[in-house]
Amino acid sequence: MIQSVRRAASILRELGSGQPRLGITELADRLGLAKATVYGLIRALEEDELVERDAETGKYRLGPALLQLGNAFLDGHELRARSLLWADSLATRTSEAVRVGVPNRWNILIVHHVFRPDNSVQILEVGAAIPWHASALGKATAAYRNEASIGELLAGPLPRLTGQTIVEPEDLRRALESIRTEGYAVEDQEAVIGEAELAAPVTDHDGYAVGAIGVVGPVERLLPEGMVREDVLAAVKEVARGLSRDLGGVRRFANHR
Amino acid sequence: MGDLNQLDGGFVLRWMREMAGDIHDERDFLTQLDAAIGDADHGINMDRGFAAALAKLEAEPDGPPGDLLEAVGTTLVLSVGGAAGPLYGSAIRQMGRALDGAKTFDAEALLVLLRAALDEVQRLGAAQVGDKTIVDALSPAIEAYERGLRSGDDLVGATSRAHAAAEEGMRATVPLQASKGRASYLGARSVGHQDPGATSTTMFFAALERTAAWEAGP
Repeated sequence: MIQSVRRAASILRELGSGQPRLGITELADRLGLAKATVYGLIRALEEDELVERDAETGKYRLGPALLQLGNAFLDGHELRARSLLWADSLATRTSEAVRVGVPNRWNILIVHHVFRPDNSVQILEVGAAIPWHASALGKATAAYRNEASIGELLAGPLPRLTGQTIVEPEDLRRALESIRTEGYAVEDQEAVIGEAELAAPVTDHDGYAVGAIGVVGPVERLLPEGMVREDVLAAVKEVARGLSRDLGGVRRFANHR
Repeated sequence: MGDLNQLDGGFVLRWMREMAGDIHDERDFLTQLDAAIGDADHGINMDRGFAAALAKLEAEPDGPPGDLLEAVGTTLVLSVGGAAGPLYGSAIRQMGRALDGAKTFDAEALLVLLRAALDEVQRLGAAQVGDKTIVDALSPAIEAYERGLRSGDDLVGATSRAHAAAEEGMRATVPLQASKGRASYLGARSVGHQDPGATSTTMFFAALERTAAWEAGP
């Protein structure tokens, strides 16, 4: 039984791994399973609309029920629900894109993203998992966690995403200390070249971070001449404080730490 | 037409003119590639940047080649958003600096310039071959160029090999999962798409090949 659930999960992951349509034989090969086994699992997944069969090619792809589950997952995040209006106002005030993230193991998971209000083509980053140490959201969140969690994060994987990514645990520890002193985190092209982010933690009634909210945009606009844009920073900190207050009011549900 | 051993500012000007023209022609294609995995701005950014850089060169075309390359690089850094401006701009600026004021350069010196460009791109982006970036086209192109020179090719032959190798590297990015840049944390959606940076880098070598051929004459 448990094995079947695992196998079904691995089928879903395989279908979600870039090649959007796979046949039974391809799936069986990739997973090292018998075709009959894959077929049985696929039929069960298809009944629940977790996968669907492409009428033209006869191959399988992810199904519409997953979108509903994904939305249910997002809706379950108190921080996301509470952040919608705050994030809109922050984007309007700063004329930049806004992201809200929650910690997810070694990554910061983007649970809300408001586009830069300039009508340019942008890509929705909800669902993106950014290595925590390469993101202002991730660093702001990490700085306001307990010592044991910080130790775990610093001992975990710290991949280099650009030449500017901070990858030495001791350097990161110092960065986190300064974030706690200043109350905000800066990311200067540490995840993507040309892009910067200013973020502040959203904390619960104990002062621990449940996530963070931040403004992300071109480095020349957020860090002109290498200096933090004070007006944007003030707006980010204000919104993060407001959000934290909101969450403190529903402390029974703020349980994502 | 000129002496292949004495490439001057005119060579740089022609190269950048070819590049700016190609980028302009392929602007929508580059943007389309980027829309699949990046921020859908590569074509627009590169077109704006190279047009501005070329305008600057056409206005002051008479300096030594290194100065011209530095001017192109600086203009790109200042006028191109996204990752492309800093990457292309800084790399081309380093090529200019590597010339150190020389009035002319030859095929061997061009190898040094190209290596300076690769070093800079890797310093900024920390990318290796296989990460689905500019490096996937740039690195094999430089290796092929050097192999060409060592086996007795002239500038035309070596740049032709470089262009072919860049193109091969570019095509090899299609099945890869990006491990650098925005595409790296957006999940698997980069798989199946050609990398826009590797594509514009291939255009850079196509422009170089044509410029070398023109320089050699019929």
